[in-house]
Amino acid sequence: MGMIDPYEVLETNNMIERENLDVRTVTMGISLMDCCDPDLDALNMKIYDKIVSTARNLIPVAEEISLEYGIPIVNKRVSITPIGIVGASACRSPEDFVTIAHTLEKAAQKIGINFIGGYSALVAKGMTRSDRMLIDSIPEALGSTERVCASVGVATTKIGINMDAVRLMGDIIKKTAQRTADRDSIGCTKLVVFCNPPDDNPFMAGAFHGVTETDAVINVGVSGPGVVKTAVSRARDGDFETLCETIKKTSFKVTRVGQLVAKEASRRLGVPFGIVDLSLAPTPAVGDSIAEILQEMGLEMVGAPGTTAALAILNDQVKKGGIMASSYVGGLSGAFIPVSEDSSMAEAVTAGALTLEKLEAMTCVCSVGLDMIAVPGNTAPETLAGIIADEMAIGMINQKTTAVRIIPVIGKDIGDRAEFGGLLGASPIMPVNRFSCGGFVNRGGRIPAPIHSFKN
Amino acid sequence: MNRTIVTLVGKDMVGIIAKVCTYFAENNINILDIAQTTVQDFINMMMIVDTSKTDKSFSQMTEELDKIGDKICCTIKAQHEEIFNMMHRV
Repeated sequence: MGMIDPYEVLETNNMIERENLDVRTVTMGISLMDCCDPDLDALNMKIYDKIVSTARNLIPVAEEISLEYGIPIVNKRVSITPIGIVGASACRSPEDFVTIAHTLEKAAQKIGINFIGGYSALVAKGMTRSDRMLIDSIPEALGSTERVCASVGVATTKIGINMDAVRLMGDIIKKTAQRTADRDSIGCTKLVVFCNPPDDNPFMAGAFHGVTETDAVINVGVSGPGVVKTAVSRARDGDFETLCETIKKTSFKVTRVGQLVAKEASRRLGVPFGIVDLSLAPTPAVGDSIAEILQEMGLEMVGAPGTTAALAILNDQVKKGGIMASSYVGGLSGAFIPVSEDSSMAEAVTAGALTLEKLEAMTCVCSVGLDMIAVPGNTAPETLAGIIADEMAIGMINQKTTAVRIIPVIGKDIGDRAEFGGLLGASPIMPVNRFSCGGFVNRGGRIPAPIHSFKN
Repeated sequence: MNRTIVTLVGKDMVGIIAKVCTYFAENNINILDIAQTTVQDFINMMMIVDTSKTDKSFSQMTEELDKIGDKICCTIKAQHEEIFNMMHRV
């Protein structure tokens, strides 16, 4: 291996110091299957002990790696087996499930992480009694905790869409918003509805440790919208070939850092390496934005005609560069387009450039879906369910992950602004189509699997 | 061999490199390579050092380099070589 070149050192350190290159998250997935117990107190105790003993060193190790390589690691998190499964034999009521949420909060606090994901149920075909109780407990669970993240898988390409669950989630989102009405309905920022959810997603709020996974695993999410933006700005006068090559090469470099951190964390923690998630994840910090990349590509504002094509290029080139940079790629691996978490997206909404309908179109060509979207507090639960159904259909038909994280901000309407704080950011309230879909979403039952899922 | 890349950026003045090199000598850290450019009054230096024989932990070393940096008005950063190899070599 050749000697390191000073210019290469300078390039790497410029990316870190000036362009917000970091590792967005080191997430430890922990299986709670061996905690199952018919006694609720025993179950809670086992869950606490398992999480605390397994992830005890997560933060010190991540900090050590960060120091030695000079690369910031922004978030350290834990994902767990969906609690709808883990709590099945012990919980007799939604209130019983809430005790587990409190245990997760305590465990997260103990090991010093800001989010723990997996207060989840996978109900694409049907809900068990346990899954139904967990879903019913979500408003209280999220209302009485800060760190717990919930997700519900209501559809897959292989199975179809569970419309009973979709309709129910309209109510649950509304109730969660009401339960946290005093804080701009922040509970809904920690609640994701999925189609085709991955088992190894390291990103919150939708992370859970799937049942296909081993006892514990390290998954890493890279970042780097700022680095990509700077690279794209250098290719301003280039044609599409130049633009694509620029994004691809940058993505390779960014992902290599994720691969290094993932392997090191895995080795030092004695936990197997799972995957690197290539997703470009924005934050509200200036320069750390997906919208700014799209604008750098030549759009006056994100939402303008051409936005979907620009996002498709970005998403595809990030994957092409990232795939070779990591031995295992997984999770969501695409570009995130949250509104409140990306200050330039929120600006585009304020300017009238970006609408809910355009965002829906954009979700066809990227991960994940309608993300961190604040809508009027008086939006009907049926309408929320209709929005979810549309997004699930996009995921089901296109064989990709889609998700909805929508916040009906109680007491606020068009022209108001929701403030969630920190990485969750802020957003203007977006208008929602006012025509009813009640007759459709209230039919009940399931939408069958699409024809192209029958491959046997 | 445990190769660490040390970068120093700041306003040039007499004895900058001497200070850093003295620290490495005192702590049994061997210098393998030095590259340096000075543009106008600013110095940009990169050293490759071997930290395998020092008794200092990595965090002690970075803390002490920070202190030296403060004294000579420079930013000194130490990083394991691997991050650069990973990013720039296939």
